[in-house]
Amino acid sequence: MEPIESPAARQIEPGTSEGSSYAANSGLAAVSAPAAPVREERRRKPRTWETPPAPVPAPHLDDYKNIVGQAEIDELRFLAEGLKGKSLKMVNSTAVGGGVAEMLNQMVPLLNEVQLQTHWDVITGGNDFFEVTKAFHNALQGSDYKLTQQARDIFLMHNEQNLKRMQFTEDLIVIHDPQPAALIRARQDASRRWIWRCHIDLSNPNPDVWGFLRPFIEQYDAAIFSSQSFSRQLSIPQYLFYPCIDPLSEKNKDLDDNFVQQVCDEFGVDRSRPIVTQVSRFDRAKDPVGVVQAFKQARKYVDCQLLLAGGGATDDPEGAIVLKEVKEAAGNDPDIIILDLPPWCALEINALQRASTIVVQKSIREGFGLTVTEALWKGKPTIAGAVGGIPNQIIHKLTGALVHSVDGCAYQIRYLLTHPQFAKQLGENGREHVKENFLMTTNVRRWLLLCRILLGRTGE
Amino acid sequence: MSAAAPAAPRTAVKPFYFNTSAHLLRITRQKANTLAEFLDALRECPEASIFQHTFRTLEEHHFLREGFSNDFGQWVLSACNEPSLAEGLASVDVREFTSVAELRARFIQIVGDFLTRSPAAATRNARETFYFCAADSVVIPTNFVARTLHEFAEGLRGVSVHCIHHHFIEARLRLKLMSNDFSQWLHEDLGLTDAARQLNRLDIYTATLDDVREQIIRIVERALI
Repeated sequence: MEPIESPAARQIEPGTSEGSSYAANSGLAAVSAPAAPVREERRRKPRTWETPPAPVPAPHLDDYKNIVGQAEIDELRFLAEGLKGKSLKMVNSTAVGGGVAEMLNQMVPLLNEVQLQTHWDVITGGNDFFEVTKAFHNALQGSDYKLTQQARDIFLMHNEQNLKRMQFTEDLIVIHDPQPAALIRARQDASRRWIWRCHIDLSNPNPDVWGFLRPFIEQYDAAIFSSQSFSRQLSIPQYLFYPCIDPLSEKNKDLDDNFVQQVCDEFGVDRSRPIVTQVSRFDRAKDPVGVVQAFKQARKYVDCQLLLAGGGATDDPEGAIVLKEVKEAAGNDPDIIILDLPPWCALEINALQRASTIVVQKSIREGFGLTVTEALWKGKPTIAGAVGGIPNQIIHKLTGALVHSVDGCAYQIRYLLTHPQFAKQLGENGREHVKENFLMTTNVRRWLLLCRILLGRTGE
Repeated sequence: MSAAAPAAPRTAVKPFYFNTSAHLLRITRQKANTLAEFLDALRECPEASIFQHTFRTLEEHHFLREGFSNDFGQWVLSACNEPSLAEGLASVDVREFTSVAELRARFIQIVGDFLTRSPAAATRNARETFYFCAADSVVIPTNFVARTLHEFAEGLRGVSVHCIHHHFIEARLRLKLMSNDFSQWLHEDLGLTDAARQLNRLDIYTATLDDVREQIIRIVERALI
């Protein structure tokens, strides 16, 4: 058994009595501040369990009945009836990994289940293509980039190759993100509807890259964005599809409280005291150091523990630096528990969120902020930075608390911990808000609606 | 005198078909960073935007009992920090309007009057941009049809809150009457004028839509006795 480095440390050693059960089998590493040497030492040991679990089979629409109600499911089927005989193709750039592939893996079977014949194609490309599209991706989200003729040529050449390889015979074709955007050149007649689904934040794009892509985008019939603030002024209709979570996924499904307790025990989280949690990568945009500072301010007045559960410190050099900064900020505080988890620890994250008294997402830059959605879905009073898509989810003092500073965050932690009835109401409202707007079934509804609107089948 | 016999179940001449409407959010060209821009956008935006930020947003936040009336009031309070204007906007009851044009005129009047009184507020930057969205709608049927009051109560229990909103709140824009589909049917097809009136008095702003559904069911059940 490894030595315990600080009073708060619960170092889990696979194969020992202390480190038995699921944690030993999932490759989790608990690090208490400042316990970096221990974690590094553990990493030297071969850990054959450090592989992702097998994917869970995609759910059926009726599986959501107990969550959203029979009436909602019936409405989806009625909506789909107006699309009988119609077909849809989704095109993106990867079959595995990343949020888009994950969403399509769940969405495509559900759309097929309601008889909207849905195909999913993935474009191919060499390293040169994906290097260019990665650079485009970053540039469109505001990074500096010098667009060269060579990059344009590579982008167009690979789109052309895919265009020749693929067929577009469906009634509706949805192209996801910038990588395959030039496939619109395959459009031959006006009878098919082409939709561009943009999953990234275009609020401040590199003008050269956007100037290059925009003429393609404006040939589509419609564009979809994840937040109003991510959109651009375009000559085509733009729709708003919020990202969503799957309430049946490992990350979000209901858990037995015994399992939640087991996870807390493994990581040394004391459920008899209030737990303040932030789940996010060790990334400056998520301001984990600010969370530590806010926690320390708040704890002067209320007893609580801080749990920072994240990842990205192993495979991202900057993540490792940020983790180090977080540990320095935490100092030798036994009430701050820092977990660097591999990406397939969805069940454990779920358990930790459920064990939390308050969830914080003190981002200073953010995409949509699905960790906020996850926390709200679990009925947790949530405090979050008013950035990106977070204000779509948190209506201040109604479905959570929006903050703009460390001081604001500290105050809200204090307030919610000392006003549990109000905190409970926020949590309940937040869960309803997610149920109404940010669940998988809501996005099935949006896709069906969009298809009907673009095909002129509005039922009026 | 013997006790009155139970009322025979009445059968409506025309059945009540429970429908619902589904809405998709479209992002429009209008946005506002100041109250002056907000007033301009209120004048220019499509009617579907006014509908979205009032009728529809009430539906989207159907689970709240207090503190939320429409997106306009919410933004003015949280992003512009103008509580008196926010109160004015939030106090607009969509059920007093049978057309979106009238509703738009009311909001324009409230914001215009405020900016006349407080011109300095017109160009102050808001903390967040207000993006005007619009609702594109599709009407869809449900599994429920009622010919009797009993079937009507069953339908009310079985449909989604979207259906309740469609018939009870949005309906006045279709009917162009200060009423709703439920009251119209109860009055015209079953002759239950009192129940129809009671429904029209329900407060939708201090109750969730599920609460409203329960209140409607209670009124209907009383009419069944």
